[in-house]
Amino acid sequence: MIKVRNLHKYYGGHHLFKGINLEIEKGEVVVFIGPSGSGKSTFLRCINGLEYFQKGEIDVGDIELHSINRLMPDKKGIETIRRIRLKVGMVFQQFNLFPHMTVLENIIEAPQRALGIGRDKAAEDAVTLLKRINLEKKVNSYPEELSGGEQQRVAIARALAMKPEAMLFDEPTSSLDPEMVGEVLSVIKELVDEGMTTLIATHEMDFAKEVADRVVVFDKGDIIETGTPEEIFTNPKTERAKIFLSRILKRSIM
Amino acid sequence: MKTILRLLSLILGLIIIFLWTVPSQTSGTALEKIKKRGHLLWGSDAEGGAPYVFPDPKDPSRLIGFEVDIAEAIARELGVKAKQSQNAWDSLIPALERGDFDMAMNGIEITPQREAKVIFSIPYYIYTEQLVVRKEETFIKDIYGLKGKKAGTLSGTVAQDILMSIGGVDVKIYSGQVEPYEDLALGRLDAVLLDLPIAAYYAKPNPKLKYAGSPVGEGFYGIAIKKDDKEFKQETDRILAKLLRTGEFKKIYEKWNMWNETQAKLFETIKDSGSYVGLDESKKAPLYTFLPNLLKGAGITILISVVSMALAIILGLVLAILRLYGRPPLNALATAYIEIYRGTPLLIQLYIIYYGLPNIGISLSPLTAAFIGLGMNYAAYEAELYRAGINAVPKGQMEAALSLGMTQSLAVKRIILPQAFRIALPGVTNDFIALFKDSSLVSVIAMVELTKTYSILAATTLRFFELGLIVALLYFAMSYPLSLFARRLEKKLSNKK
Ligand SMILES: Nc1ncnc2c1ncn2[C@@H]1O[C@H](COP(=O)(O)OP(=O)(O)OP(=O)(O)O)[C@@H](O)[C@H]1O
Ligand SMILES: [Mg+2]
Repeated sequence: MIKVRNLHKYYGGHHLFKGINLEIEKGEVVVFIGPSGSGKSTFLRCINGLEYFQKGEIDVGDIELHSINRLMPDKKGIETIRRIRLKVGMVFQQFNLFPHMTVLENIIEAPQRALGIGRDKAAEDAVTLLKRINLEKKVNSYPEELSGGEQQRVAIARALAMKPEAMLFDEPTSSLDPEMVGEVLSVIKELVDEGMTTLIATHEMDFAKEVADRVVVFDKGDIIETGTPEEIFTNPKTERAKIFLSRILKRSIM
Repeated sequence: MKTILRLLSLILGLIIIFLWTVPSQTSGTALEKIKKRGHLLWGSDAEGGAPYVFPDPKDPSRLIGFEVDIAEAIARELGVKAKQSQNAWDSLIPALERGDFDMAMNGIEITPQREAKVIFSIPYYIYTEQLVVRKEETFIKDIYGLKGKKAGTLSGTVAQDILMSIGGVDVKIYSGQVEPYEDLALGRLDAVLLDLPIAAYYAKPNPKLKYAGSPVGEGFYGIAIKKDDKEFKQETDRILAKLLRTGEFKKIYEKWNMWNETQAKLFETIKDSGSYVGLDESKKAPLYTFLPNLLKGAGITILISVVSMALAIILGLVLAILRLYGRPPLNALATAYIEIYRGTPLLIQLYIIYYGLPNIGISLSPLTAAFIGLGMNYAAYEAELYRAGINAVPKGQMEAALSLGMTQSLAVKRIILPQAFRIALPGVTNDFIALFKDSSLVSVIAMVELTKTYSILAATTLRFFELGLIVALLYFAMSYPLSLFARRLEKKLSNKK
């Protein structure tokens, strides 16, 4: 469902991606791991057009996004990116809820104004989503009145309200207190179990093992290894992956 | 938020209606225009004071003075009513040139420089310059004793030219005729040279001052008329000559204590005395008599401030959005606008809008010019406040909105601006209060708002202190509720977060 071919990305003079290729099937769950600064976030952000790239193609379903080597893409480029964003939801490390809107308003804003769904229908769907994540009591709260875990669950509900075909998670639990990580991961787990095509960048290795169909290891802008969690965590083939994993495992023991 | 926007657009609508109703220059000769209009518009500066044109101390909403009497006599002869048009004295001539009124009459001396720009009627008064010194002064006996001394006068007058031509005199230029005499009495000046009517009204009753020598520099006051209104000038001359012959002029001058031997050179003698309103009387008038005038000025101040601020808020928003999100060259244009408006004085901008634009065929009424001048200036500052507010919204907000499939403009409107407004609000209300006070600058374009009303009244009555306190109180009464309201609004917005 998502095809990345020969992706090149520069940050100024820094050539981060030097021709990445990756294909993701419908319903597949892919977890991205790798050292800090290796390009996991940038990769996800290229897929929904939050970062422009200089060369290559990204297809999402039947929509083709070609390299956009300009600060200001043209009308057609902007529209292509928007159509992709309507198909692919994204959840951020910092939640990014809209602080001036209630939980309900956060969730119904885009369905109402970007999809043109009526307010009553949008609100009804929002309440259904909130029930699923056990937050229906918070419909009229403002984000600052919620815990970090609750905020991130609302952010997930907000993305799901657009009925996406795939979901991108960029370190969804990294800014949470440890006791709240579980509640967010279980919401993601539920989603995965329902068959949602899911891409997750994370440092939660146990979670990666549990949900991933495939693990992709990034290092310095390269995909150095892909495989099932089994293959990657017990028997990594490349030296770089071994070094990264041993460092991660040591950290989790300490 | 929505109601505020609705209110703003209503006010903007009103501005547009104002622009629509700017009186367009009707064609035809000046005389035809006056007859059609039913009144003669004559320009003068009531702040210039007695005995020329000044508010009646007994009823400050009414103007009196010998020039008021003359204007009424001319209007009567034309079969219309006279209507005074308030204008700063310094800019009477440019205002006349741009067609703000039919004639300017306010102790304007006939000089070759002025004759290059306008035409003058036959003289209606022969003025002389009177030197005034402190009572105990013994050294200065005439203008030639002024070398090395400090002498005050009004800007742009013949007296100024005389002082300059003596050489070695330290000439201090004033824009009002009261202040030089005050400074003289206080010892800040050694002498004041001004037209005799002014000296007679302001200096003669003052026990600390005395005349030094006899009047010098005879010259003529004339009525200034636009260069192309030749027919109107002839008609004015005819009427002036008639008033001279019938002795009506002399009556007027005697009423104002301005008659002297010099005038006899021009007028026949017919005796009949009228009442003369002296300085003492205006000093005694109870304060409440000034209130209607001051309140009217306050009303105009409010009107100007509110409409200008509404314009500034809307235009500022457009500028900020163009500067941040506009494609070239729109973003560069918005940046240029903001920098130019912030980098030049408001006073200059007002002058250009009011006196400059008529040169390219755009003639705005004073009120419209005030709205636009202040509004366009403050828009630049509001734009920068919004820009700072927009930049203070975390980047993740825009990314989250975009990732939900919202277009950039929708994201700006629904997600970024509401948060940016909240951040900018304290600055915007601050600016509103500042604009309230800056609105006094529009008196340079012939708007009589609160500060101008004050200076006109104070110049006539010399009651700077009491009137000043009242005016300060009025300003405070207007701006304090505004800050209270702003604080409430801020609180309300920060609760709803
Ligand atoms: N806006 C930017 N401008 C310049 N360089 C950037 C920018 N964003 C990211 N980079 C660089 O690109 C590289 C990849 O960054 P990225 O955020 O994608 O890594 P990551 O794998 O998500 O790291 P982390 O695990 O810390 O989130 C890093 O070297 C980073 O410094
Ligand atoms: Mg990252």
